[in-house]
Amino acid sequence: MGTRILAVEDDERIRAAVKLALEDEGWTVDEAASGEEAAILFLRQPADVVLIDIMLPGIDGFELCRTIRRSSDVPIVMVTARADTHDVVAGLEAGADDYLTKPFAPKELSARIRALLRRARPAHPAHPKLIFGDLEIIPDEGKVLRSGTELHLTKTEFRLLCELAQNPGRVFSREHLLDHVWGYGYFGDGRLVDVHIRRLRTKVESDSANPRHVVTVRGLGYRLQA
Amino acid sequence: MGLRSRILLTFGLGSLALSLFLALATFNFTRSNLVDERTGNAIDQTYADASRVAIDLRSNPTNIQTVLERIGADRPLVYFRGTWTGNDARFSSSIIPTSLLTAVVENRQPTTMRIEVDNELVLAVGIPLDSIDAAYFEFPSIDDVRSTLNSINLALILAAGITTLLGIVVGTIAASRAVRPLTAASQAAQAIAGGRLDTRLAETEDPDLAVLTSSFNDMASALELRVERDTRFTSDVSHELRSPLMTLAASVEVMQARREEMPERAQVALDLLVADVARFQGLVEDLLEISRFDAGGIRLNVDELLVGEFVRQAVAISSAPETRILVAEIAEEMLIKGDRRRLARVIANLIDNGRAYGGGELEISVFVPDDEDPPSQIWITVEDHGPGVPLDERDLIFERFARGSIAGRRSGSEGAGLGLALVDEHIKLHRGRVWVEDRLDGLDGACFIIELSAERV
Repeated sequence: MGTRILAVEDDERIRAAVKLALEDEGWTVDEAASGEEAAILFLRQPADVVLIDIMLPGIDGFELCRTIRRSSDVPIVMVTARADTHDVVAGLEAGADDYLTKPFAPKELSARIRALLRRARPAHPAHPKLIFGDLEIIPDEGKVLRSGTELHLTKTEFRLLCELAQNPGRVFSREHLLDHVWGYGYFGDGRLVDVHIRRLRTKVESDSANPRHVVTVRGLGYRLQA
Repeated sequence: MGLRSRILLTFGLGSLALSLFLALATFNFTRSNLVDERTGNAIDQTYADASRVAIDLRSNPTNIQTVLERIGADRPLVYFRGTWTGNDARFSSSIIPTSLLTAVVENRQPTTMRIEVDNELVLAVGIPLDSIDAAYFEFPSIDDVRSTLNSINLALILAAGITTLLGIVVGTIAASRAVRPLTAASQAAQAIAGGRLDTRLAETEDPDLAVLTSSFNDMASALELRVERDTRFTSDVSHELRSPLMTLAASVEVMQARREEMPERAQVALDLLVADVARFQGLVEDLLEISRFDAGGIRLNVDELLVGEFVRQAVAISSAPETRILVAEIAEEMLIKGDRRRLARVIANLIDNGRAYGGGELEISVFVPDDEDPPSQIWITVEDHGPGVPLDERDLIFERFARGSIAGRRSGSEGAGLGLALVDEHIKLHRGRVWVEDRLDGLDGACFIIELSAERV
């Protein structure tokens, strides 16, 4: 089965052009002109990646993002107006995995989607099972358990956790994580890492304000410990 | 003359006049009081002595000296039957002024007069003794009154001086208080000129100043509104342009994927389209960025960056990733604080500029200026082999859409005239400097220099 992409964008012509460009990559594209339409469509026909423009009539991109996140761990790419506004952080906190600013080159979008799809299928891990105190990671099955209870992580959160778990106790810089988890180079946005770490903590930590497992090492990066 | 000096002068002269008036009034009042009292006492005493002299002389007309001694008067002088008799040689008839003599002896009028005898101020009191056809004089000293008056005089002059000085001090304070609102207004005007458009004067209760304050603030608000509107217009236009650009970019890409299927003429047209869509996109992004600067809405995402590594990475994503980069050994361990994506844009813009207006291969160097020790600054230079930038255009080229005379000579279509303006704004935001001069090695060409503060790891 081919890869399905749901593109949510209210501008008809942009939607049509983006659909054409993405179809050139060999992907199937479903279109939605509003958040409401997208939510219904997604229920009927789940996609492998969702592309959401934040500026939508009716329910906005953030709300749509949260709606989809309640039932799915599908990778989401947000399209924002500016990179330096609060929009980016708000979008990531609403559950987006990555973002692009308008106008973006469709090539850039396909590259992002490919990175997300790659992430959705984690590479073969060194160990079948990793244990960090009350935390249990089973990479092959894409499962994380805390005190025996399964946690619902998005695919990106899971990749991030696996990356940290590969080398317990080692400090991973934001640049390293951006490169290995998102496929960004030197100029990736460090906020992607920060917001995802925050989201990850709310799930794997019993008290996310005082994290025990995912620890910040000031000025250097992050570390996973038991 | 300035407002401050005028206020000061008014206060100074005013207090001088007032203190002089008060001093004079006080002096005159005191003097007349003192003198009147002393004169009254002296006259009373003289009358008493005179009547005793008259009685004694009537019974004993020959021995005047004895009479005078018996009554014990102070400095008496009697004119009786054509002769003058006294008991103090200093106070003889010769010291009596003619007018006093005439008034007392001839006109038979009791008269007093102030005269000076051997530097002593005395009151000459003359009383005619009608009953025995004589005249009696006494000369009580009022010299102590004079010295008292002198002291008072001195004290009053001193007081007047102090009052005047106080007036000047108060005047200085008043002057600076009076011009304070003006100082505030001029500072606010400077702040507005410097770009802080939300500067306002504090509201005041003073009805005189309220007019100035409110009209100043109205002016500032109108100006701010206008600038905001202009900025918002640029920003809105750019935002509006982004949607069609998005469609254009995506469509062009789809067409580009099928370029080989197109007839030759269509391919040429497509190439033109692709190039100009990219240029258009760059222009809109530059406009958006510059409107953000104007709106003051830029937030830097500051990281600590190893400058050598940063420059290499920035060049790698620029339009000329193969550009030669020379990083001094020390620059490999120098840290700058900056927004990596914005600084990368600065490097990219300088490279684009060099490619468009310069000529030959570009060279980028990173080093500490003047071998500073310990190093606190870093220079990043971009040098070309073009015609260089004439002296009088070196500031101008950092202005928006100002391409200088080079624009006429250059070919190609790179750059929209905003690139260097953005470089300038970005570097200013990073508290650095950017300028252009001749190549540092003396060859022909321009050298753009970025100076940023840096520190060793």
